[in-house]
Amino acid sequence: MPIAFEHVSHIYNDGTPYRHVALEDVSLELAEGKITAIIGQTGSGKSTLVQHLNALLLPSAGKVLILDRTIEAGSQPKQLKSLRGQVGLVFQFPEYQLFEETVLKDIAFGPKNFGVSEEEAAKKARTAMQMVGLGPEFEERSPLELSGGQKRRVAIAGILAMDPAVLVLDEPTAGLDPQGTEQMMSLFHRLNRESGKTILIVTHDMEQVYRYCDEVVVMEQGKPKLRTDVQTFFHDSSLCRELNILPPALIRMKDMLRENGFTVSDEVSDVNMLAKELARQVKRHG
Amino acid sequence: MGNFTLGRYLPLDSPIHRMDPRAKIMGMLLMLIAIFIPSGWIGYGIIFVCAAGTILLAKLQFGFILKSMRPMMIMMIFLFIINCLVIHTGEPLFVIGPVIIYRDAIFQTLYIVVRLLLMIMITTCLTATTKPLDMTLGIEDLLKPFEKIHVPAHEIAMLISIALRFIPDLIEETQRIIKAQESRGVDMKEGKMQERIMAILSLIVPLFVSAFQRAEDLANAMEARGYAPGEKRTRYKVLKMAGRDYTLLVCCTAVLAGMIWLSRMS
Ligand SMILES: Nc1ncnc2c1ncn2[C@@H]1O[C@H](COP(=O)(O)OP(=O)(O)O)[C@@H](O)[C@H]1O
Ligand SMILES: [Mg+2]
Repeated sequence: MPIAFEHVSHIYNDGTPYRHVALEDVSLELAEGKITAIIGQTGSGKSTLVQHLNALLLPSAGKVLILDRTIEAGSQPKQLKSLRGQVGLVFQFPEYQLFEETVLKDIAFGPKNFGVSEEEAAKKARTAMQMVGLGPEFEERSPLELSGGQKRRVAIAGILAMDPAVLVLDEPTAGLDPQGTEQMMSLFHRLNRESGKTILIVTHDMEQVYRYCDEVVVMEQGKPKLRTDVQTFFHDSSLCRELNILPPALIRMKDMLRENGFTVSDEVSDVNMLAKELARQVKRHG
Repeated sequence: MGNFTLGRYLPLDSPIHRMDPRAKIMGMLLMLIAIFIPSGWIGYGIIFVCAAGTILLAKLQFGFILKSMRPMMIMMIFLFIINCLVIHTGEPLFVIGPVIIYRDAIFQTLYIVVRLLLMIMITTCLTATTKPLDMTLGIEDLLKPFEKIHVPAHEIAMLISIALRFIPDLIEETQRIIKAQESRGVDMKEGKMQERIMAILSLIVPLFVSAFQRAEDLANAMEARGYAPGEKRTRYKVLKMAGRDYTLLVCCTAVLAGMIWLSRMS
């Protein structure tokens, strides 16, 4: 079952002078079992879009299909809780949702809300801690006294412990250092490849999109402007330039080389391959 | 929370929006005093016409005012019931079960409802047309004369403007945290006692943490830019009374005088 939006609109504060159309007639299908990047400028409706996936926001018009459920405008969906257990949503700056006394308790909070027993929840929490790279020494510490990056991991572990089938992350790496970003993104990559989870990531980081994602959705002023796979999207930089997006460094490099008479094949997908290819061509000429 | 309209600023462009906040605050005070003078139905009629005229001039919608009334509906119904039970003067009008409803019960309630409606209309004319920051500038200026008796006018104004500045942020933050916890399976609306306590804790703790964080950030930012409460400060925005502001004050004073005269007459 793919995830689909059918003519979905979302209007904030409808019927007041603050009325704001954040999504306008969005029809979109998102591939299951893949990592999809949702990109677009601030205010283009990315966060609004993803909050429909676990029914935190309900469509003002149209319907959302997710995991054999239909969320339709105008009807109050039932058993929201089970949907929220299956679709894990990590908010932007999730470190602000920590509140328990210890890291372990905070991570176990989610599973417990879904009716998992105390011991089982603790077990799930420990597994999640391991996944995000938090050692057992963190278990008894207060989440409020950790560093920003560590808090972020605790918050993400709190969602992972619920073991959702679909994982939605709103700018999960914003404000993290490059190393932390790398670790987070490779974690999501692993979760997708090893456990087959469908993953949606809202991001601004084209390097991460290029390296870790399968599909791209570009949002613009409340509408999906484009949906394609990453290979096509970054085939060359023309599409990015059209959309005013700075392409990843590797793509820019490839473009520059091509402009200067090198032949670079499309298969080249990381810096090492590019270096080897260049070395070969230089040798052949020299 | 999105439906809460009482006291909200509406960014429109109208003559009332452009008026001096000091004139508007003084005008509102005069009118509020006028409402409390027992001037009978004619008096209230005059005040209503003035307030409605201002609302039209300010390009506000009456629906907006009525919406502001909504939170007080329950209180008014409650008041009506109490009045019906307690007041036994005037002619009896009709009987509901064991209770006889007297004429005065209805009139007394109507009186209060009308006063409330007028008060909301008038305060809305101020709050919906004055930017919170302009409002605090106005309050600071109006409190200036009281500095002689050690009223800390500037500090009060700064306090109010900081509080106003953070209200939308905190509302937004609250909604954000609610959503984040709902994503973790919290049910904010129903559940057993223990679950509800957990739900509230999961909202309150992060809210406090973030409020303190914001307060600290703001204090640091202000200190870094050399702010010290007692010092003389110049203003970026200088308020200036224009002809229309004096007109407003004269009109409001005239209404108040009229009410006093009306109440003497009867
Ligand atoms: N709770 C809200 N109330 C009113 N308007 C909102 C709210 N949340 C977002 N918006 C508005 O909706 C638009 C889309 O916001 P959002 O989905 O957060 O965009 P993005 O995540 O792409 O930056 C923005 O213009 C924003 O101002
Ligand atoms: Mg966003």
